[in-house]
Amino acid sequence: MVDITIWVGVFFTLAIYSILYRENPWFRIAESCYLGVAVGYAVGQDLKYIRDQWGGQWSSSGGMMLLFAIVMIIGLLWYGRFNKNLFYLYRWPLAIVVGTGIGAALRTVIFSQFLAQITSQANTPFFVAGDMMATINNILVQIMVPSVLLYFWFTGEIRESAPMKVVEKIARYTMMAGFGSAYGYTVLTRYSLFIGRSQFLLGIPPNPADARTAFYVIAFIMLATMIGYDMFMKKETPEE
Amino acid sequence: MSILDKINNLDRRWIYLLAWVFVLFPLLNPLGLPIPISQDARTWYDYVENEINDGDVVLFTPMYGVSGMPELFPMTVATMKHLMTKDVQIIVVSFWTEGPLVFNTLLTQVDPTDYGYVYGEDWIRLGYVPGSETAMGSFGANIHNTVTADYVEGRSLSSFPIMENVRTGEDIDVIVSFETGTPGTSEWMRQFNAPFGTPQITGCIGVSVSGMIPYLQSGQLQALMPGLTVSAEYEILLDKPGLAVAGVDAVSTSHVYVTLLVILGNIAYFMTKEED
Amino acid sequence: MSDVLRRIEIPIALTIIACLLQVIPYYVEIPALESAANTASNAVLIIVACATFVGVISIVQVHGKRIQRQSEGWYYSILVIGLVVIMALTGLPLPEMGLGVNNSVYNWLFTNVQTPLGGTMYSILAFFITSAAFRAFRARNLEASIVLVAGTIMVMGNAPLLTNYMPFIADISLWIRSYPNLATMRGVMIGAALGSIALAMRTLMGIERGYLRGGGEE
Repeated sequence: MVDITIWVGVFFTLAIYSILYRENPWFRIAESCYLGVAVGYAVGQDLKYIRDQWGGQWSSSGGMMLLFAIVMIIGLLWYGRFNKNLFYLYRWPLAIVVGTGIGAALRTVIFSQFLAQITSQANTPFFVAGDMMATINNILVQIMVPSVLLYFWFTGEIRESAPMKVVEKIARYTMMAGFGSAYGYTVLTRYSLFIGRSQFLLGIPPNPADARTAFYVIAFIMLATMIGYDMFMKKETPEE
Repeated sequence: MSILDKINNLDRRWIYLLAWVFVLFPLLNPLGLPIPISQDARTWYDYVENEINDGDVVLFTPMYGVSGMPELFPMTVATMKHLMTKDVQIIVVSFWTEGPLVFNTLLTQVDPTDYGYVYGEDWIRLGYVPGSETAMGSFGANIHNTVTADYVEGRSLSSFPIMENVRTGEDIDVIVSFETGTPGTSEWMRQFNAPFGTPQITGCIGVSVSGMIPYLQSGQLQALMPGLTVSAEYEILLDKPGLAVAGVDAVSTSHVYVTLLVILGNIAYFMTKEED
Repeated sequence: MSDVLRRIEIPIALTIIACLLQVIPYYVEIPALESAANTASNAVLIIVACATFVGVISIVQVHGKRIQRQSEGWYYSILVIGLVVIMALTGLPLPEMGLGVNNSVYNWLFTNVQTPLGGTMYSILAFFITSAAFRAFRARNLEASIVLVAGTIMVMGNAPLLTNYMPFIADISLWIRSYPNLATMRGVMIGAALGSIALAMRTLMGIERGYLRGGGEE
């Protein structure tokens, strides 16, 4: 008994990977399906939230119900963006959302991303008794972090001064090493994603074993159609 | 065309094909390569084992969608299994749209009843809350107003014993977050760690690791699980090998492949430069 | 009247009020204000959720035009619109009619279409990053060499095959992560924190209006 869901999953996975050979209709089909399902999926989750909210505090009293109605009207103003004359209404819910977001972040960003980091930096001792490596590392950190900060903050003519030239070199070398670190982890992430999909295609447990058969069949069909089409087109338009 | 020119002008589809080979081969024929245990895996294991105590309220948050599943799902499953061997209270919530669907998939591999966990008493699902950081802040300020009904039964939160004494972020003892981006740890730091001092451990994709290190070093983050390799190490420490262990051979071979390509590319570059 | 409503000062004022409503109760204990702020936060979550159909309508507009004009690839647009409509309809929160997040069609499409597609879409970057590593990752100068060496060591450090037989690779990669990377990201984080505060101040003063652009008018 063929499990259609497995074959559908394998088909879409390979359809995306077919772009590696070249642009082709399989990829376009998969891309279109992805777009349609992704946009439509969020609708269900968002509307469920609104309905659940109505079941909670918002229906507890007449005043809250009125407030809910006002909130829903503000929520409907988003759709003013689709009309040239009503576009200005779209800015109102946007302004409220942006303002709330800025406020929520602003009130604690100074603690979590500024003070905590500076405190941690200040608490890093220059000298660690009995551990030469830790001492060297801490001294390096105490040099590198301020260099990077100064590099970002002071731009323009001041960079021409002798001290800033030294700071600039230290900062750039530090950041290059940091970006190399980021690159290494990026490779891990991308290959982990590929390996995960490969495990599905090969039917490695807990993925369904039937996926492997589907993989071989669908991969053959896709490659045959693409390569076959290319060979056919080559014959039709011979190179001069 | 000299061999150097051929290397420099190699059709990239051959590179793609070799990438397939280097990944599929060890998956089809497991090499059984040894997996050394790193400090990251030990720190994560020790924290869950020794620092999360019986009775603690754990906020378990799969903050990722299907795009992050291959890398984050193994560690999510392993951590959930580890937590359920303890007597904690687990509240599952997500601020990513696809979070609930990720957790649905987790439940096909982890059955809480196998660990004696009763829904509503020992664990609960609150579903997805739209609004990103604003939602996280609202959640911390008043959980029962932000999420009025649970995701499974659609009942009021106050009707569940587990939520009786859990009203704000202050009542959460630890956050266990798995994430691929925003909203993520930075937002947790601003909305929970700063106002409530809530400890947190984060599992993240490799791309996010660089940005987590300052939080780890400053002590704001108690443990970090950076990607699939460390997930495999964690599965070994738990003695529950899963998808991560199954995939780590392919991680090794693919990374060796990338390393060889970089070296080969640079050799060809320098030799071409010399010829010129 | 509509000229008054179109004024840019209204959304700017709304931004300022919404922002201050989040910030002030955090530092000043006024129970009424705190209650208002909590209610406002919950209201904003509903406002955000209400925007859910913006994407649907935009998609239908763009792809509808393509179908109408029979532009290149217009038949794919039929697929897009069809799936958007099916997901949106089956996802409507009407459990009494069998619709909603537990609807079988909704879940089937998500599990068997979205899940493989979403998981695969980002994984193809593995191939592009490999190709880029071969073609573009060159030690052209000292700085590029530092990136190259650090990057290659990090890649090797994530391969258990190499770290098992050459443990010093793991030590070096951990050092790169814990020191140069820490310095870089800490500097970026502090700078970004100050930048975000500056941006918030500019927004509160009404100087920053980029988020309000569009519609062919200011």
